[in-house]
Amino acid sequence: MAPVAEPFPISHITGRYLLFDIDAISHARREHNICGVLVGTIPNLSQQNVFLGVPLELMPEEARVLIEQGHAYLVDEAEAHQTGFAQMKREDRLAYLQTLDQQGLERAKVIQERKEERSEKVLREKGLVPMKQESSCVAPSETSESTSTPSLGIGISNKESTAELSLFGRPSDPPKPVALPETKLEAQFITPTTSYPPLAPRSVNSSLPLPKVAQNYPLFRYLHSMRYFSMPGLRFGCHYSVYPGDPLRFHSHFLATGIGWDEEFDLLDIVGGGRLGTGVKKAYLIGGEDSDKATQNASGDAPNEESVRAFSIEWAGL
Amino acid sequence: MADEDEDLSHLRGPEPADIDLSDETQDFRFLDKLIVQDKGTLSLPKRGEKDFEPHATSLQLDTLEASRQAMHNVLSWTRTHTRKNHILGVYHTETNMAYVEKIKSQHFQTIGKAKGNILWLLPEEALFMVERGTLDCRWPVKQINDEEHESVRSEELAPMSLQAAYAAFIGFEGGIGGKLTLEMYTVYAGLKRSGYIVFRTGTWDDERAELQYPNLEKGKSTKRSSWSSYFSEVWQRLSKPSIPPLTASALQFGPLLKPGLYRNYADIYRLLQTIPTHDRKAPPEFMLTADSTNPFRITFDVYKAATKFKKSERGTPDFRISVINARETSIPTAAQLNDLLATMPYDPPNPADNMDRKLLHGSRNVILAVVDNGIPSYMRFADVPVSDERLYERSDRAPRGKGGGRQYNPARELRMVAELASETAQKSATSSLTDRLGRRLKPPPRGANIRDI
Repeated sequence: MAPVAEPFPISHITGRYLLFDIDAISHARREHNICGVLVGTIPNLSQQNVFLGVPLELMPEEARVLIEQGHAYLVDEAEAHQTGFAQMKREDRLAYLQTLDQQGLERAKVIQERKEERSEKVLREKGLVPMKQESSCVAPSETSESTSTPSLGIGISNKESTAELSLFGRPSDPPKPVALPETKLEAQFITPTTSYPPLAPRSVNSSLPLPKVAQNYPLFRYLHSMRYFSMPGLRFGCHYSVYPGDPLRFHSHFLATGIGWDEEFDLLDIVGGGRLGTGVKKAYLIGGEDSDKATQNASGDAPNEESVRAFSIEWAGL
Repeated sequence: MADEDEDLSHLRGPEPADIDLSDETQDFRFLDKLIVQDKGTLSLPKRGEKDFEPHATSLQLDTLEASRQAMHNVLSWTRTHTRKNHILGVYHTETNMAYVEKIKSQHFQTIGKAKGNILWLLPEEALFMVERGTLDCRWPVKQINDEEHESVRSEELAPMSLQAAYAAFIGFEGGIGGKLTLEMYTVYAGLKRSGYIVFRTGTWDDERAELQYPNLEKGKSTKRSSWSSYFSEVWQRLSKPSIPPLTASALQFGPLLKPGLYRNYADIYRLLQTIPTHDRKAPPEFMLTADSTNPFRITFDVYKAATKFKKSERGTPDFRISVINARETSIPTAAQLNDLLATMPYDPPNPADNMDRKLLHGSRNVILAVVDNGIPSYMRFADVPVSDERLYERSDRAPRGKGGGRQYNPARELRMVAELASETAQKSATSSLTDRLGRRLKPPPRGANIRDI
């Protein structure tokens, strides 16, 4: 994983906040407890919904926390691409194509090598490997007597199966396979994940205004400041499902709902949330921000977390 | 990419170090291993074990680190196209679509629209194809003069990155007049990954969809034979005189049940049913004025995967899905739901089903895909014909559909009357729509994941 320079850009596309850079995705997760939701299809694994890939969709709250703390900034991708690609110069385009071609060639090489490795492995399993490689594989603990016998046996099987070997287009003498792929190798076409490069990174100064967030934002910010991870919670009938650590490894502890300080809410909400939370071994959590306290403390730069209070509700099984 | 080890797959003996799927935890570590091993035997791991809370042991930290590393590795896969399987598309600025010049992929059996030699892909189709690594989409060259445009071959255009594809197909939509949102795309891609065949409903350009009138011809085909309808006619005549129709004046004064001779409880219950109910076979009507900003409209027609599927003759969709953004839309009002259901076809439950199933099925139903920041939840809303399914007429044990010519059986008589009564149109309360919706946006019974339906 390459280190990520802060602030890193967050792509803003029609009011949604996305991360395309894999290093940035890992960085946000490790350093800032922001996990977001992977929404993209993993190439070549497009028949399942269990594992998803790039891009990562951030909640507006997550994007806002990152930006408020100076870790990230917003880039209007539609505008950047409109100017960057739709009016791309011919020289830039050709240079871009050339770099991609180079990558494609490297990629083809890697695949070719991997293919050879695999065919070798399979052949070895079948006992069809040339003598030289087989002897190098033999464990050193074995006696010299045993090393000599397999090589003899292999020599015989090798002769027997030359016809079979040629079926796979693998020549029986060693020097040839090195030369063969070189002539056949064709660069693959590559669809890069991000557009930077060729686009020049946007400056931090051009960042868009802060993401708009609902009144449950203070609770999110508060939980985030306590090192909790949050995921969207609609499936559990709440705003956020809150994890004590990375959701990759841990179960969620709370179903959190943010409400206004003086907002009236139904007792039924507590019953519903509490029962559902207890039913899935979590606690229902409600919280809000005392707006009076928040404005008192607003003189400071960082939002004061003392203005937020949270309560957890569990169904006591008495 | 499947072709890279095709030539060897038939050679493989049983792998000695085969990993046991159920033994491992379900995280990206596992996926990574599977891929490195062999694509032919790929299957997804089951839900794994997680920890309750961090306890700062190095075992836990190492496991987490391994998961994160594996996730990073999987996310780093590049989308590549071999020369053999290369599908080259070009972005079309005016329509925010993409076009492919040569059609040579099985994907296009269920995607795109052919016009002559060119296949056009809608934004969601093109984006999905790019994302799954099938389509190599290119930026067009800005036309400075026609000569230069002629000279640029498609292969020499700048490729669209995944990021660019999102920026274009979703980000430029606002400027073009289309309406594809990220939520719609999330649902589209999710359904496609599950193997469904998905098309836009209509063109999304109209203010709202058309009313769907009930097709009563379909109901007639299940009608009884003339022989048994003759008998029901007889029973109707025999049973009718004992139940005089209630008039408004009678309701004003007298008791609901006048003293008299009642042959069974059903007659009495029927007299107690004084609240008019909604007739679900009547032509539907819109309650709101046409408004293109109404979020409650059918977004996608969804078909189950079928071998004989033809995109030119798609037939009736198996499901119709309305995509809703959970963060911008609250639960539908009764009027919104009425208008949404009015654009769904009349789909009565199977008369042979038992009562619970019929009630769950409803006379019209729609699936809402509610997307909360990239996570879709599928809910099914049905117009439940409670007034048509009368508990007091329930006769689950009685066999159905036998012909006449049997000896007298009181249970049978009752059933025939019941069937007749359910055919005559019943008035029903329009307020029933609101009753059915809870105050909260919680899934209705059985309104679960789309695959459960």
